[in-house]
Amino acid sequence: MLSIQNLHANIDDKQILKGINLEIKAGEVHAIMGPNGSGKSTLANVLAGREEYEVTEGSVTFMGKDLLDMEVDERSLAGLFLAFQYPVEIPGVSMSNFLKTIVNNRRTAKGLEELKAPEMLKLLREKIDLVDMDHGMLKRFLNEGFSGGEKKRNEMLQMALMEPKLAILDETDSGLDIDALRIVADAVNKLRSKDRSFLIVTHYQRLLNYIVPDFIHVLYNGRIVKSGTKDLAFELEERGYDWVKEEFGAASV
Amino acid sequence: MSAETQDRYIETKAQLSRLFQSVEASLNGESSHPFHAFRRQAMDKLQDLSFPTRRDEDWKYTSLNRLLVNEYGHQAAPKLEEGQLAPFVIGGEEVIQLVFVNGTWNKELSRLSAKPDFLVVMELKHALADPQYKTLIEAEWTQWALASDSALVAMNMAFAQSGLFVHIPANKVLENPIHCIHIHTKTDKPQLTSPQMFVVAGKSSQLTVVDSFVSLDADAVYFSNIVNRFVLEPNAVVYHYKLQNEALEAFQINHTEALVKRDGNFSSFVLDLGGRIVRNNISAFLGDSGTHTNLFGVYLGKGEQHIDSQTFIDHAFPHCTSNELYKGILTDRANGVFNGKVMVHKDAQKTNAYQQNSSLVLSERAQMDTKPQLEIFADDVRCSHGATIGQLDESSVFYLKSRGFNDEQARSMLQHAFLIEVLEHIHLDEVREKAEALVFAKFDS
Repeated sequence: MLSIQNLHANIDDKQILKGINLEIKAGEVHAIMGPNGSGKSTLANVLAGREEYEVTEGSVTFMGKDLLDMEVDERSLAGLFLAFQYPVEIPGVSMSNFLKTIVNNRRTAKGLEELKAPEMLKLLREKIDLVDMDHGMLKRFLNEGFSGGEKKRNEMLQMALMEPKLAILDETDSGLDIDALRIVADAVNKLRSKDRSFLIVTHYQRLLNYIVPDFIHVLYNGRIVKSGTKDLAFELEERGYDWVKEEFGAASV
Repeated sequence: MSAETQDRYIETKAQLSRLFQSVEASLNGESSHPFHAFRRQAMDKLQDLSFPTRRDEDWKYTSLNRLLVNEYGHQAAPKLEEGQLAPFVIGGEEVIQLVFVNGTWNKELSRLSAKPDFLVVMELKHALADPQYKTLIEAEWTQWALASDSALVAMNMAFAQSGLFVHIPANKVLENPIHCIHIHTKTDKPQLTSPQMFVVAGKSSQLTVVDSFVSLDADAVYFSNIVNRFVLEPNAVVYHYKLQNEALEAFQINHTEALVKRDGNFSSFVLDLGGRIVRNNISAFLGDSGTHTNLFGVYLGKGEQHIDSQTFIDHAFPHCTSNELYKGILTDRANGVFNGKVMVHKDAQKTNAYQQNSSLVLSERAQMDTKPQLEIFADDVRCSHGATIGQLDESSVFYLKSRGFNDEQARSMLQHAFLIEVLEHIHLDEVREKAEALVFAKFDS
């Protein structure tokens, strides 16, 4: 599904990613952990196509296509989803108009007719229930005045509507209380399937108590320095990131 | 700006003089009508007044050259079919619809079936000959219109074709709007039209007037030189909407003034989408305490459009509030101007005045000049004003694109979102929907 080879990326001429290699197969859940500044969010944003990041070397193949050659919206329509660490607030864009456009754009791309109003409403309500939000949210403006937890649940709602092939969660768990965290994890678990993969970027092991990944990778200084199964997360939680820095810090200089 | 400019305007006056004579010659007996007496007085006055130039502080950013070099005419209005009106209609039978074709009231296409008996809607010309309204109109036209030092107001008065008089008596409420559709067509010579409206809202009455300015021919060249006068008796509520979608080579000057008496509530909303050079002069004079005034504006400039809004709110009495919000988007080589003045006199204690102008400038060669002004001479007031000029937020564009919106869709949605804050102030659903549809069509053009 996703194949990342020797990926190097800069922001403002500063090299952040220094050769990432990663293979994600259909149905797999991968977690990427690492200390702050290791390049986790950069990886998520490069995959989604944020323009501030410049890819200097390497390649990314998604569903057999060159991902780096695709526009941001093409990536989305091809089945790549990024849950933002900091979702933007857009006053003036109603949730209902936003979500309807998401659904209809995907239908149009697949050659389907736009959804009629009653069916659309039914679909939106069903997915809003999935993330335990109030139906009244449809009348609000996009993320405007949403609490931190509401914003993250709104990201999960969009993921549920978009039914991506690969969902990247960029620190979706950071700053959430346990109730919101459970809702986020539930949404992911309900959407897990043999055709859908997840790349979960997180700083904390806690999320992985609720979403059990197939593989865990430790990112440090722009490289994946260690990969393993879920037990690696417990090791990280117990020992912290210091041993990673000690073990791999010197080598990377 | 110089002598050459002055000379050019002298030639303009000479041309207008000739046009006046030819109009007068075709009047057939109407020349003794009291309405024509006003025209003549205004024409005399026009000769003594100067058209504004960019040396005048209030016209610093807007030049009338392009507009005043044309030789204008008054041509007979063409016949139109009802179907040609369809794109411009708002609502159904419940709306009083008045149609003006190239400045002339078209009775066949107008629809007064929804007009309640208490409401007076008639040509100003006829109202002036009606003993019931004669004194009122004469007084207002002498003491207000002819007293104006604006050459453009005098020009409107001199060439007014029929004018519109609206009177709603005390304690009456008109819930559905009066909708005036001003239609223009392509003419041999650029057409000069001079729409004139005088609205008197009696004590505790309420009414809404919507003015649509449209063209049947995209390449029509004409000049709509508008004068609107509103008098709000105590506790009256008046909403005025201007939905301006003139042809892109047309000109519009809109002079609108309201006198708001005790506890009156006046709302003006201008939507400017069309026109080559557009200028609004909108003033509210708060003639007693307890009044509230809203001035809202939305402008969208493309190509080489020039859209200028000049507003003035005169707080002369205590306990009045005013709220002003103008927002617009400029692209290509379009120019926008906002010059909003709020004057708070010494006696206007407890005034609460808010003013904001925000613009998005989306191309290198587009330009916005904004000048919000507060002049406060009272010491116990709450006033604030501000202006911003910016671009679309690229992180918002990225967010939408990451959800599968294409670039155009994302930008169009964000531009619309930017204007929503103003558009949602339109208090009648059918008017707001019309305004939004016009805005969307402009985005897509």
